Parts: sequence; C-alpha cells; structure tokens
Amino acid sequence: MSATAARPRPKIDPINRGFWENARAGILSVQTCDNCRDVHFPGSPVCPRCLSGDQSWTPVSGRGTLLSWVRFHRAYWDGFRAELPYLVCLVGLEEGPLLISNILETDPEKLVIGSPVEAVFETVDEELTLPKFRMRG
Amino acid sequence: MSSPVPARAMRHPNPRNRRAAAVVGVGHTDWVRDWARCRNGERPNDSYGYALEALRNALADAKIGRDEVDGLIAGPTTAYERLGELSGINPRWGDQADAVLAVAQAVMAIEAGYAEVVALVYGNDQRSVGTQYGGPEAMGGNAFLSYVYHSPWGFTSQGALYALTLQSYKHARGFTEAEMGEVSVAQRGWSALNPNAIMRKRITLEDYLASHFVCEPLHLFDYCLINDGGVALIIAEAERAKRMTDRPVFIEGVGRFDLNRGATSLEPRIDDFYLPAQQSAAAQSYAVSGLGPKDMDILQVYDSFSVHVPLALEGYGYCAVGEAGKFLRESRIGPGGRLPLNTSGGHLSETYMQGWAHQIECVRQLRGECGERQVAGARHAHYTSDVAGKCFSVIYGR
Repeated sequence: MSATAARPRPKIDPINRGFWENARAGILSVQTCDNCRDVHFPGSPVCPRCLSGDQSWTPVSGRGTLLSWVRFHRAYWDGFRAELPYLVCLVGLEEGPLLISNILETDPEKLVIGSPVEAVFETVDEELTLPKFRMRG
Repeated sequence: MSSPVPARAMRHPNPRNRRAAAVVGVGHTDWVRDWARCRNGERPNDSYGYALEALRNALADAKIGRDEVDGLIAGPTTAYERLGELSGINPRWGDQADAVLAVAQAVMAIEAGYAEVVALVYGNDQRSVGTQYGGPEAMGGNAFLSYVYHSPWGFTSQGALYALTLQSYKHARGFTEAEMGEVSVAQRGWSALNPNAIMRKRITLEDYLASHFVCEPLHLFDYCLINDGGVALIIAEAERAKRMTDRPVFIEGVGRFDLNRGATSLEPRIDDFYLPAQQSAAAQSYAVSGLGPKDMDILQVYDSFSVHVPLALEGYGYCAVGEAGKFLRESRIGPGGRLPLNTSGGHLSETYMQGWAHQIECVRQLRGECGERQVAGARHAHYTSDVAGKCFSVIYGR
C-alpha cells in the first residue's frame, strides 16, 4: 500500500466549498434547497428532492445523536498510525442529515448508540478546520 | 423498524421470466493453485487470462463450441470489447455487468429474443496487482463517493462501511459478537469439505473471538479473502438448454430493488439495513417462482463481510426481523445444520470472486456434484446480494 505521510485532506470543489468555509468559522452547515427547503449532506449539484439548482449552506445546531461508531485498528494513511486504534462515528443531526466524523472520547464503553452529541471544531491549520463531535450532557 | 415492501415493486412481479433460461455450463480457474503462486511472488495471469481460462472450462462443461455463443457479458474488471476480442466472440448481444446483474441480463436478453446462448465471463487479478478496497489507492474511489468522502476523519474501506452497519445492527437488534462469529465458523466448516477452497482450516468460536479487529467490530475472520481467479457460466434459452444437456439448472425467478438515496451518508445501510429493498427483491422472485424460503435447500449470500448473512436471513424471509442471532445460534448454517448457507465456504473461505463463484456453487449443488459438501437431494438454491444498495434475489432450480 502506498500510504502517504500526511492525513488526507478534503477535496474542495464548488459544491462543498461552503461547508468547509463555514467550518473554518466554527459553523457546522448542511446544504439547503432554496426552492423546497430540503436539507441534505453531503452537497449535491441539484437538490435530490426537487432537482432545483439553487442551494445554500445553512448553519445547523451542531446537536445530534450517535447512530453508530467503529474503531480502526489498521491505518490506511501513515498520518493516522499514531492514533491507532482511533474512533469514527456516524451522527444524525437534529436537522436530519447524517455525518461521518470523529468522536472525542477515549472509552468505547461510553459510546452508547442513541446518546446525544454536539459538534466541536478542531483547527488543523490555517486552511482547514475539521468538525468533530463529543458526548453531550 | 421494519418497513413495508414498496408498493411500486409489488405491481411488477416479473411474471414471465420463470424458467425462461437455464445454466448449461460452469467453469472456473484453479484459485487454490494461483493463491499459492501469488503468495510466492508470481503473477500467474491477468484478469483476461483468468476470465478466458474460466470460459474455456465452462464451454467444455456445456459441451459446446464457442461458435454456439451469441451473447457475451463481461464482468466488471475486464473491458467488454477486449474480452470479446480475446475470446473471439462476435455476439449479436452483449453487455458488461457484475455477477448478479449478469445473470439477470442474460435472462432478460434470452427472454426478449436478443440471444439464445449467453457466456458470462469474469476474471480478476486483484491479489497479484494489489487492488485496494480502502485508503488512498482504493479501487473505484472516484466513482464511489463513500470510499473517499469521509477520509479527512480517517474513515475509509469497504470493511468500515460494514463495520458501521454491524455496530448499528447489534444495537438495534440485540445481536451479539458471538452470534456474528457463527457465520465465519460455519463457512469454514463448509470450506473444510471443499477441495476448491483456499482457506480450509476449521476455526472455533473461540478462535473467532480471539482474532484481531481490523475495523472494529469486524474481526479478521469477518473479512473476505482477496485472491486471483475467474468464473464463467453459459446460460441458454430453456428449450434449447434441455436439448443441450440432461441436467439444466433453471433460473426460477429474479427480483431486484435498489436504495440509492442517501448512499454517501450511509442512510440506507443504517436506517433499516437495506431491509425494505431486500423484502421487495425477495417478494418479486418468490412471486415469479411460486417458491418461498421454506422451499430452499441452499442459501448463498454475497459475503464480502460476514454481516451480510444476518441481514439476508431477515431481509429475504428466513427468519423474523430481529431473530437472525437466534437463528444462527439454534438453526445452524454449517454442515449438518438446518439451512446450508454458503456451502463452498463463500467469499470468507473459498474464494472472493465477487458473487460469481456463488452462482456456480448453486449450479453444482443442484447437479449433485459437490462431493463431501453436497446437500443431499437439493432442488432449489437461492442467491441473494445487497451490494452498494442493489438488492437482488435469484432462485435456481432443477
């Protein structure tokens, strides 16, 4: 495997740019259709509900529910090797869309599916901030 | 949690394709030999070479010459035109498809009159060329967004998608780690009886539980092999098939339903574990064939990861929703069990031919050619898959 030293960075394109710009400002956002108000993630070129091309990245509460989690025991990138084993979660936002992220928790016993979680922001460098989650309450 | 079968699917029970076509020949490569050669640093063949070796064996099994073939379907890793060139086949109908779609398209082409004898040909050199199913060089990474979209958080690989599914499924249904282990233990029980299987050493539940995690909650033994090989089938129009062989294996019914919405954020996997799509595909194929789970002597489940099996048991109606764990503990799916499942050892233990080898295992079981692992008197074999949201049900009968 040609693992790279660095961690993978998001491929920023015209569709997802708004999400990553908001994240740098500490705002979690989902794509919202200006026509039918459908909210979804990840972004898409047209609204999957009404096929309108008019869409915006709108802030969400950052609150959600832990839907599932896994723990990686193998590094597919060298940049994650020091973190092994590391946790990845699937969160269902209060507003509806589902997000893959990391959960800031070290004890898997505490990762009870259905528990409330909230977004936090991890600054990687000047250009990239990653939204992550922690257990709430 | 269980959703009703989508009404749209029920209005189209595909009533015509029952016994429209039959398998008249099957062939494969010697993947046990090639596994050893790959481990020795050799590159025995490329995808085309494996595909053509399998085609030669399938034609010999059907006792026909290449010139009788008037339809050609190439598997996903070989370009259709090149495979046609190398096999010397100029068909009047052709296509490119994965395993189960290839079977469905062969039946459709035959039923529609576009072809009478279709060769379905697959080869894959994934072991010797180091095909990756996760990470920066993941196969299909550009096409399948979920492979790469989540990589900034370190989430990648097919295994991780199924690990996430299993974690959620364990919570929703009360499914346990030991119940999951029943699958790989049972399939090793089958592969131990199969001279064509790569992994033949029996394992116990204790071995399973002690094995390391790759992407937790999936253990090493929950993952499929990655090996080189090829598989081919010859499918003919039913009346012609009866003239060609005295042991045709008919396709009794096909059903399909797909869940694409929300695929990248994994909604269809997590919300209901593909259940509505599986139920719809099952209902279509049961309506066409007039058969149901109780009529099946053998179940073959696409098993890139062991978690496919409990999902299939519930989705295709072999047990009530939420009872797959109990079914695995009490009914047993290994040799001597109540429901013989993945009788070759499947992707976990025989060979990872991406669903293709499951088709020929159905055929060979119904022909009674399976030696020590033969299911006595088998009349119907059911193949199910749920891959990337595409749920399929194919019923074979003799």
